[in-house]
Amino acid sequence: MRVRGLRRTYGHGPSAYEAVRGVDLDVPTGSITALLGTNGAGKTSTLEVLEGLAPATDGEVSVLGLDPIADRDAIRRRTGVLLQRSGFSGDLTVRETLRLWSATLTNPRPVDEMLELLSLRERADVRMLALSGGETRRVDLASTLMASPELVILDEPTTGLDPESRRAVWRLVSDLRDGGATVLITTHYLEEAETLADRLEIMHAGRIVRSGTPTEIAEGHPSTISFANAPDVPGDLAGVGRVLHEYGRTTLETDALQSSLSGLLAWASLNQVELDELDARSPSLESVFLSIADGRDAAATPTDTIAPLIPSLPEGILR
Amino acid sequence: MTTTTVADRFSIRRTASLTRWNTVLLSRNRLAFVYAVVLPLLPLALLFTGERGSASVGAGAIATMFLTIALFPVYYNVLAQFVSRRDELVLKRMRTGETRDAELLASIALPGAVSAVVLSAVAIPISAALGQPLPVNPLLYAAVAVLAVVMFTALAYWTAAWTKNAEAAQLTSMPIIILASIGPLASSIPDMSDRLRDILSLTPGAAMADLVRIGWFGFDGPAAKQATLSFAETWGQAAQPLLVMAAWTAVAIVIGRRSMRWEPRS
Repeated sequence: MRVRGLRRTYGHGPSAYEAVRGVDLDVPTGSITALLGTNGAGKTSTLEVLEGLAPATDGEVSVLGLDPIADRDAIRRRTGVLLQRSGFSGDLTVRETLRLWSATLTNPRPVDEMLELLSLRERADVRMLALSGGETRRVDLASTLMASPELVILDEPTTGLDPESRRAVWRLVSDLRDGGATVLITTHYLEEAETLADRLEIMHAGRIVRSGTPTEIAEGHPSTISFANAPDVPGDLAGVGRVLHEYGRTTLETDALQSSLSGLLAWASLNQVELDELDARSPSLESVFLSIADGRDAAATPTDTIAPLIPSLPEGILR
Repeated sequence: MTTTTVADRFSIRRTASLTRWNTVLLSRNRLAFVYAVVLPLLPLALLFTGERGSASVGAGAIATMFLTIALFPVYYNVLAQFVSRRDELVLKRMRTGETRDAELLASIALPGAVSAVVLSAVAIPISAALGQPLPVNPLLYAAVAVLAVVMFTALAYWTAAWTKNAEAAQLTSMPIIILASIGPLASSIPDMSDRLRDILSLTPGAAMADLVRIGWFGFDGPAAKQATLSFAETWGQAAQPLLVMAAWTAVAIVIGRRSMRWEPRS
């Protein structure tokens, strides 16, 4: 999958909204790539273009070496797509739903095999409208994987699943990659992305602002030391940058975790201060993600994302 | 170089399978089932209440039955099924798979279409048993049945463009239902001016009713009460209403294609 300069705009004229603003993306064959981002970052708008469900406003998109709109039929025989929201007729049972889906495929796996794979055998004769959200999601996954696709696009596949089912889906997705399939997945669960993905792409305000392996993405971001109470820690601890007081916790950001922690513990011991719920962390995907989401990462926050909200401000103020 | 054939773009096997499941869904929705099968036969009750064997009564009953068939198993059924599937995101989900758009459209329309054609055929022996004549031009009668299905299916997909969901369809279907009904209903008014009658004859329902009166009963005009047209003469008399139906069908297909939406408005 190869994307260059992808743009997608909704509407026309003054009310037009540009959801995707020049995305470049490569999804290597046989890998799992996770597309992360806040709500409204443009993930689903990007996926819909890759899935051939919507045309790009501008840019180049190649899926399996083909054009997702012009070569839609050829691509779909080789692709499994899971949309963000499931779409099934409530009056059909689980088995009927999978039989219907199976009848539309060129080379489907047996329905019973898919029921077994997604732990749906006991719910096979229940109508779709009586299923829980998690069960419906598993039926959706069964449909997605029924054609043994070589490219799988999963838009938030584990939303609504309990922790056990979520891990079962993780195993399933890993097995797909191990079997040679290419997987593009979006998720709100950072743990899921860190566990599954070979490569991450973080979207914000319609652009990809960070790319790389989880380690590469976390690189350059500060480690953190936090504790529940808020003693007046000295400001000259080695390596400590910002000190944050949020949600009843004090958080120290540092580029030298070991030195800062040693200094903090020595100070606490000398002054007989008890540091409740002390926690020290290396740079994490979560900290990177949050710094992008709340705008602290200036490099990841394009100024033109603010401009439409406050059009009357002089241009210089946004710099 | 590869070439794309019709068979590549439209799979009969897949369409038949989808149609089968749409029929299952239709049979599980009691109201839709009554609309598709029971309601269209009710106008034949007019044959019991009117003068036995009167061609005039027969033409009224069959024309009304045709209008009911066109509006309920075909038009309203296709509209409601399409917008509810779209609202439930079923159409969007299906389009992520191998199913082609034309197969989805055909499979939603086919259960109502089959019901309409079967009911049109069943009406012949029922009417004959109640003293009505057999169709003067069975070919024209069959063509009208097929053309009515195509026209009202196209009108249903056109209406779907501005219909939010199945509930809204009760309101958005009204313009077409009124447009289809006004011609046949107004034709019973005796003192209507010729100009107004000519205008009403351009509505889809009036054209369809005229074709039923010509094709089955051999009537040569709106006031006719006796068969006067032969098999050959019915073709000439049918030219204008056939053109009217074809024009409505073409307009609905063109505008329906341009305004087609496969997922709910966000």
